[in-house]
Amino acid sequence: MERQDAMQDRTTHPEEGLASPPPAVTLKERQALSRRLLLGTLGVTAAGGALTMVSYQDDAQAATTSRGVSAAPAATGAEHAWCMVIDLRLCDGCKACTTSCQTRHQLRPEQTWIKVTEMKDAAGGTFNMPRPCMMCEDPPCMYICPVGANIRTDEGLVLVDTDACIGSRACMAACPYEARYFNWTDPLPQKRMPTADSPQMPVPQKGTVGKCVFCADRLPHGELPACVSGCPMGVLYIGDLVTDTAVNGQGTAVVLSDFLRANDAVRYKEELGTNPRVYYILGHGQSLGGGA
Amino acid sequence: MSTDIISTDALTTDVITTNTLTTDARAASLRPFGKPSLLWWVTVVALALVIGAGIAAWVVQLKSGMGVAGYNDHAFWAIYIADVVTFIGVSYGGAVVSAILRLTGATWRAPLTRLAEGTAVVTVLIGAALIVPHIGNPVRLYELVTHPNLSAPVFWDFVAVMTYTFASIVFFALPLVPDMAVLHQGHEQSLGKRRTTLYAKVSRGWTGAPKQRAVLAGALGLVSIMIIPLAVSVHSVLAWAFASTDRPWWHESIWAPQFVVAALYSGVALVILVLAGFRRGYHLQGLITPRHFIRLGFILATFAATYIYLTFADLLPGSYVGEPGTASVFTDLMVGRLALWFWMFAVVGGLIPLLLVALPWTRNVTGMVIAATLVLPMMWLKRFLLVVGPATYDTVTRTFGTYHFTWVPIAITLAAAAAVPLLLMLLFRVVPLLSIDEIEEIAQMQEIGKMEKSLTARPHSESGEPTQPVDHHGAPVGTTTGTSHRVAGATGVLLLVALMGMLGIGTAHPASAAIPHVASVSSSVRTSTGAPTITIKGVEAGGKVQLTATLTGANGKPQADAPVVFSFNTTQFGAPARPVPLGSVTTDKAGVAKLILGADANHLYQPTTKGPQEFGATFTPTTADAKPITASVTVNITVARSAYTPAPPKPLAGLGNGLVIALFAIVAAIWLTLIAQIWRVRRVRLAAVQEPATSTT
Repeated sequence: MERQDAMQDRTTHPEEGLASPPPAVTLKERQALSRRLLLGTLGVTAAGGALTMVSYQDDAQAATTSRGVSAAPAATGAEHAWCMVIDLRLCDGCKACTTSCQTRHQLRPEQTWIKVTEMKDAAGGTFNMPRPCMMCEDPPCMYICPVGANIRTDEGLVLVDTDACIGSRACMAACPYEARYFNWTDPLPQKRMPTADSPQMPVPQKGTVGKCVFCADRLPHGELPACVSGCPMGVLYIGDLVTDTAVNGQGTAVVLSDFLRANDAVRYKEELGTNPRVYYILGHGQSLGGGA
Repeated sequence: MSTDIISTDALTTDVITTNTLTTDARAASLRPFGKPSLLWWVTVVALALVIGAGIAAWVVQLKSGMGVAGYNDHAFWAIYIADVVTFIGVSYGGAVVSAILRLTGATWRAPLTRLAEGTAVVTVLIGAALIVPHIGNPVRLYELVTHPNLSAPVFWDFVAVMTYTFASIVFFALPLVPDMAVLHQGHEQSLGKRRTTLYAKVSRGWTGAPKQRAVLAGALGLVSIMIIPLAVSVHSVLAWAFASTDRPWWHESIWAPQFVVAALYSGVALVILVLAGFRRGYHLQGLITPRHFIRLGFILATFAATYIYLTFADLLPGSYVGEPGTASVFTDLMVGRLALWFWMFAVVGGLIPLLLVALPWTRNVTGMVIAATLVLPMMWLKRFLLVVGPATYDTVTRTFGTYHFTWVPIAITLAAAAAVPLLLMLLFRVVPLLSIDEIEEIAQMQEIGKMEKSLTARPHSESGEPTQPVDHHGAPVGTTTGTSHRVAGATGVLLLVALMGMLGIGTAHPASAAIPHVASVSSSVRTSTGAPTITIKGVEAGGKVQLTATLTGANGKPQADAPVVFSFNTTQFGAPARPVPLGSVTTDKAGVAKLILGADANHLYQPTTKGPQEFGATFTPTTADAKPITASVTVNITVARSAYTPAPPKPLAGLGNGLVIALFAIVAAIWLTLIAQIWRVRRVRLAAVQEPATSTT
């Protein structure tokens, strides 16, 4: 199944590291066995179990890497490293991106996977800032998820496995970009979804979290994400750091590295060390730094 | 309670003779086993109804989603997680009263320990259960065991809570052995059939022989030592579930110690309330004296002062620096939306309880009970404030969302609160209310102590209280002290390191370069008649692609000083191929424009994939109606490089695996040590059965 292929394998089995039964001892041995010796033996057993588990995790991770999906992107030379460039100079705040996204993903109005916020600039004016998922290379949401329901493809897409999500909302707490939305109630009645439910094209599910997926189901087919194609101003570019190209919905294509450099692109909350893969091109007097 | 104050002198009532104590302890422990009074039934039914309402609310929430509990995307965590922190927090009260007082040899603890330990067990179970309504998809909670994420604080929370729960159950259960033996042997008629069977089973072989006592004391001493760092770990990891996110006020180093002190503070308050309730309900005034309440009150005051200090220390630096996020949250807390509630906590939950203990005329049972009654809801309020403030703060828009209470979470919270007395009342229908054995043992020792004192003609005083002769600090205990501290220290350090990122990103440079050589050249020309023409040649030489465009004017001569835009075509974003501009080069006198990819700072693009790659050259005539002319060429690329360089791994990322191994080893060692204690006591108990001389019926 496609879904199976796209999923990160579940790699950990803590029970292997926990509570191995005490070694069986005969009555005679028991008398000779001091408590310290007993504890030592148990400690070694436990450490051994944990070691087995961690090495198993590594093996499993290596196995998934060879199959094309892993938590260590680009280590094997992924074909793509998807990113987005947002040219704030052009954004007029029409929110067409949000509408296109919500239509495609059948979201409730308050679930703004790409959200356009009116921000204050340094001169006292305002500018509009679309905020999709930042697709961090060091995603706090992925590290903090208690059950590993956040996965990162080797192409750098941070996705949610809604069939594994327990709804702890730890990721919502961890995301510095407020990019995550929970299904607090029953989702809207689903019309035909373009593809089957998958982390790339999740069907909203009550009690689980959802977020921007860069329209991951479209990218392999050379199609643009809904927000990019829906933006009438050509603000949003979908790009690929490997092939060094980016395009917007208005047909403009650029050499990504040149474009970023020539326009002094910045990343939002760079100082947090999340290494986001969304680049902003600022106009004048805007500020995107400054922690929380 | 008013009668206590009138009829008893707080300073003298703990001088009780051995006989009274022993008889009282046994009789009092049997009291809950009799036919329950009408009041008991009314209380149980009332509490059960409250719990039933909570369960109904939870069912409603399961059906409709968490939205009915007032949650939204701007208040993703709120009341339930505050409940979890509160209930798991109050569980520490049992540990402090029982374990710490045991380790420090405070003999006055004896009548309190069983109730305190029972409270610890009951509240930690309720606290753990409250995670269920907090979770959006509780049916999937098993995933914490089947495929946990080892870098997640919440997973380690789960491990820590489970370990602490097991430890507190062991700590509660081990001392039951001698008590059940005492009651089983002397008071069978009062026990009833089921309890007799249970007690016989648990206490089989217990004779109270010195060897048995030594083993039990050793086991209890060890568990006492273990339960303190375990409780510290539970409250620390709970705090780190918040502090390991980048949210203002949550992302604070003080959170773990603050949570530990908050747990101790509220825990002692709950112990006071539970003691007061059972003392009144089962007439334990002879055993649990005002003196006990006052001593617990002093402990409460210590933690009140510490917690007030930590709260101040928590809020001062952020308020002083004034970072936008922290400043907003603190403003909201201290002078904004939440100000009324925050200052209510500070005064009613901090200052007033402190004063009630500090002032001599309120330092009595009533005063202590009032203080505890104030502390518990106020500490819940504090937890709620510290959850809901940062959780509603949007770190992008820097605005606040709102959380609206609905009846659903209120019903569930009240149900959890009602479960504490209900479960305790039911629990002490089954197990003895008091640790009879400990009371009798200490009473005997006090008798001896008093005799010794009368020999030296010194008046009885508090400072002269004899220390517990049964050595809980023997050699095996002593050796494990260091281990336990190391365990706590290592856990703390290792968990902190975990937050630095366990799963680092490996460094590797994709698409390595091949040996440079000259590649094939193919050229195609597209021209429009009667207009300027352009040709392009492309060659890959020495690993670099060189594009040469020749521009011929409408007059058939080479056109100089004209901008030629080079591009490459990509189908990555769909067909037809899109031209991606590589940059503009002005033609020379011969009408030639040259571009070497990656040669200079303005043209850094280099081919990223091997194989045929189409390049183009475009000239747009300056005349008004002229169309751009384009020529294209396909170059077979043999040297490609990925434009992408992954971010370097986090400095401490490599420690992840070692950390996980160490943590699992520690956790396993703790579980096995606890199991070993049960096994030790069981072994020494059953050994007696095999010797006919000491066998009991």
